[in-house]
Amino acid sequence: MLVEFELIERARSGDSGAFNQVVRAYRKRILGTIARLISRPEDVEDVGQEVFLRLYDSLDQLRTPEVFEPWLYRLTVNAAYDYLRRQRRRQESRMSDLSEQQVMLADAAAGGKKSSEETRRTKVRELVESLLSKVSEEDRILLTMKEVEGLSLKELEKIYGVNENALKVRLFRARQRVVKAFEAEGGELE
Amino acid sequence: MDRMKRDEQFDGQLDSRLESLFKEYRASIPDPEPSAGFMPGLWRKIETRRTSNLTLFRRWAEVCLGAAVALALLMGAVVIPHYEKLPVYSSASYVDVLEADHPNTYVDILTGDIK
Repeated sequence: MLVEFELIERARSGDSGAFNQVVRAYRKRILGTIARLISRPEDVEDVGQEVFLRLYDSLDQLRTPEVFEPWLYRLTVNAAYDYLRRQRRRQESRMSDLSEQQVMLADAAAGGKKSSEETRRTKVRELVESLLSKVSEEDRILLTMKEVEGLSLKELEKIYGVNENALKVRLFRARQRVVKAFEAEGGELE
Repeated sequence: MDRMKRDEQFDGQLDSRLESLFKEYRASIPDPEPSAGFMPGLWRKIETRRTSNLTLFRRWAEVCLGAAVALALLMGAVVIPHYEKLPVYSSASYVDVLEADHPNTYVDILTGDIK
């Protein structure tokens, strides 16, 4: 826990100062998770604000301060899921408006001049983004929370409110799909 | 047999390569520093939500009030006069109606009106 239970209790009872302190303590971590979940730096803060807005609205429903972190992660997962679904719809309509040549030109322009390290990071991001696009938004988020964020099955169980076995099955299937996609890409970064 | 072993080895390698790719992905996107506008923006959104909820409640209350006033006017202008115009079955008192329905023959017999 990054804050004392007492601070969460105060925020829950409507203390704006306490709520501010809670947000300040968690915002960087939550923004990081969102950044890796949605892969769109320009929208990270917006989704982050949505998470804390939902927290503000639902804080009175929190049973005990002990479950605060899984609760906050659940809000994060839900907000990221909503964003990804909206984004997919938007992207589909946007891409259908562009010709293939325009898409290629846009990709080339986005490349620009970068250092080799930066180029590798971009490639990593693009590859992971492409692999994760092979699974549904729910599985993408679950897989990212487990494989990238490094959350344990016990933690995921608390966040999702489903038993460990169901999560294992779902993770296994999603991972298999990603592995297959990775194999199809050559199983290498370069 | 050799082929199966090779396949298993390949799958294992692919798994570990994927794991390191995920790690690299994690490292390529560090936790971003929130901008200076993060907290003011958040509070603006909270206030907007609060105001819109209040507006929604106010609008709902106005609709209810409007409906209540309209109903009262409708009753005053249409329903009540309509019932007033309906034929009155009896303008007599309760005792008169009872008396008319049950003629008191017993009293008449006693007074000698009925023989």
